[in-house]
Amino acid sequence: MIKKIHASRRIPTASPGGVARRKARYALPGALAASAALAIAACGGPPASSGSSTSSSSTSSSSGVVNITWQTMWSGNTLTLLNQMISAFEATHPNIHVTESNIPSATGDAKLLSEIAAGDPPDVFTEWNPVLGEYAADGSTQPFTPYLTGAYAGLEKWLYPIALQGGEYNGTLYALPMSMNSWALYYNKSMMKAAGISSPPTTLAQLYADQAKEWKFSGSKLEAIGFYPLSTGFEYFGSFFGAVNCFDSSGKYDFENCPGAKNEANFFAQYDQYPYSSITAMEDAYGAVAGGDDDAFVAGKEGFVMDGPWEGAQNIPVTNQSMAGNFGVVPFPNTVGGPSTFGQGNYNIIPKGSAHPQQAFEFISWLAGYQNETFNSQIDPKGGWMPASPSVVQQPAYQAWLKANPWLNVFVQQMSSPYSVTPKLTQTESEFETAEATATEDIAEHSKTPQQALTYIDQEANSGAGG
Amino acid sequence: MQAATTRVTLTARAIRSPRARRLWLGLVFVSPWLIGYCAFYLYPFLATLYYSFTSFTGIGNPVFTGLANYSGLLHDAAFRTAVFNTFYYTIIEVPFSTVAALGLALLLNMNVRGQAVYRTLFYIPSIVPVVASSLIFVWIFQPSFGIVNDLLSDVHINGPDWFFSISWSKPTFILLGLWGLGQPMVIYLAALQGVPREMYEVALLEGAGPWQRLRKVTIPMISPVILFNVILALVLSVQYFTQAQVIESPPGSPGNSTMFYITYYYQQAFQFLHLGYASAMAAFLFAGVLIITVVLLRTSSRWVYYENEQR
Repeated sequence: MIKKIHASRRIPTASPGGVARRKARYALPGALAASAALAIAACGGPPASSGSSTSSSSTSSSSGVVNITWQTMWSGNTLTLLNQMISAFEATHPNIHVTESNIPSATGDAKLLSEIAAGDPPDVFTEWNPVLGEYAADGSTQPFTPYLTGAYAGLEKWLYPIALQGGEYNGTLYALPMSMNSWALYYNKSMMKAAGISSPPTTLAQLYADQAKEWKFSGSKLEAIGFYPLSTGFEYFGSFFGAVNCFDSSGKYDFENCPGAKNEANFFAQYDQYPYSSITAMEDAYGAVAGGDDDAFVAGKEGFVMDGPWEGAQNIPVTNQSMAGNFGVVPFPNTVGGPSTFGQGNYNIIPKGSAHPQQAFEFISWLAGYQNETFNSQIDPKGGWMPASPSVVQQPAYQAWLKANPWLNVFVQQMSSPYSVTPKLTQTESEFETAEATATEDIAEHSKTPQQALTYIDQEANSGAGG
Repeated sequence: MQAATTRVTLTARAIRSPRARRLWLGLVFVSPWLIGYCAFYLYPFLATLYYSFTSFTGIGNPVFTGLANYSGLLHDAAFRTAVFNTFYYTIIEVPFSTVAALGLALLLNMNVRGQAVYRTLFYIPSIVPVVASSLIFVWIFQPSFGIVNDLLSDVHINGPDWFFSISWSKPTFILLGLWGLGQPMVIYLAALQGVPREMYEVALLEGAGPWQRLRKVTIPMISPVILFNVILALVLSVQYFTQAQVIESPPGSPGNSTMFYITYYYQQAFQFLHLGYASAMAAFLFAGVLIITVVLLRTSSRWVYYENEQR
């Protein structure tokens, strides 16, 4: 139960006065044609559209306006923001019209691949960047190299280094972020006070001791959590322990021999005394109540949680106002080198077969905030997002947001920290993510030792590039 | 040239014959189904067999790899776990649901007041969408706030973590399976009403009690329906997917205890994009279900009674 933090065709009627006495020999081809038409209509007919969702085919109208399609896996309030972005883009780019469609995240990747295989992909596709290595490796997505000239020559340097790395596969840029993530430790002020804790922890030992005072059980029923990293997952704590990009000289995953990974696994094992299944059940229940945006921390039932800026900027204000002034944020304690974050985000790609890649790139770079800092600095606060570039942070609107919410500074400062790390995009990220989630569960459930869990991650992540 | 002309003449003559015309017309009328069958069943089936011998991600061309995918299955620990979990579920769920559905049908076949109401009440759950009923069950079995654990705590029992516990997750899914008993129950009910009353009258005259009437009359008479329902339940059990996919996050958790065969297949095909490997899994499943079904049908002659059968 590792918490994923992210994300008719009409058949013409017979003419009146048609041949009444059709001979049987005409019936077969007619019926076959009708059957084929039915089959084609059943397979290839456009899906019923609702809202802004339409078919993914891109067109150029006779008026010279290019229609590009943008496929996302967003849901909920974020869709309102997407419509605002599209309106703002179309206002400044009258020759490009954007049609957004959204699909359930569970089937997003499979749908995109079907569309690419059918030769009808969207022009822009938004994806959680770690899996982009898989797309780049099999040629499902187009490199941005041809477009990084002229007005876009300075784009790569404009980005935060971790934002740039998040879109690169084997040194080539394939994706640009529309929002970045940054991770830090949230603490519940009233729970700390009730437990007699005067200030947030600065070391891992202190965090462990403090959170231990905040667990509450009624009989066997769990009522409050202190801190439980195991329900978040191994991957998300990697940068705090120097456990990102643990590869051997041949480029294979090598967590087994990675000192940072060992430290992280041992840190996780410290928390295996707490009832994993009860904790995940409680967190799932809170998540289900608010459609996935809520969690035990937002509900005021968790002392500490490692999470991103959206937790304080979006989830708390929307789902539990009473927590609004009751939390603080500090860098994750005692991290390797200094405060850091794990560079990941929501990136846009141009799928193979896109009808309008040039216009798609124009839209993608605009979404990233390039030469669009003013609007970007206004929309990022609404989503609780970190920008792709420090230039956006300098904008008055973003500064005003930081001033109103000083706790956000922790997240912003980590974006440019030299200790922040972006996981290298690989061909087997999905296998790695699944393996690290299972390994984390195995530590929590005592079915593997920390070392066995790391070995398992390597085995699974390295066995994936086939089939 | 002469031969070709003769062939055309013969073909035209053949079509004009009444029998050929009937065949021709028959084909015309079944052509929508034939085309649908070829396009959506036969072709995907043959394509799956072909892809099972390739490495394929859905993009580009499949690369022929021989038996590598099948060999990979034999050495894949997660695959073995998925087979075990599915076997565990099937071996308990199929007999359990068969006995429960038959028992329910026997009760609902009794001449009691409000019979139609009871029949409706017991059938309604099976028309509730699977996703909706799965989400309801998450709440019913929620360890901290769920009604089941609340009731258990009233009698001083600490309820388990149900879907969230490695040891309890599969039994909880088996309990969830009982929610869909309406379908086989209705089929059993229809079969029970088809048993000739005179057979019961003869059994009564012979002094048979309720248990003997059930064993010696009812069950033999509805045994073809039992066979049908068992095969159907078996096929549905080995393809168990939707409930596990909806309830467990990530699918297969906790600790791979709910990693059913199709859950793993879905993960390989649509998450890892190992379409070749997943195709091998599909072919393996097809072979497995086919063997079990053939064995069931072959052994059915020993326990299934067909009224008009010549023995």
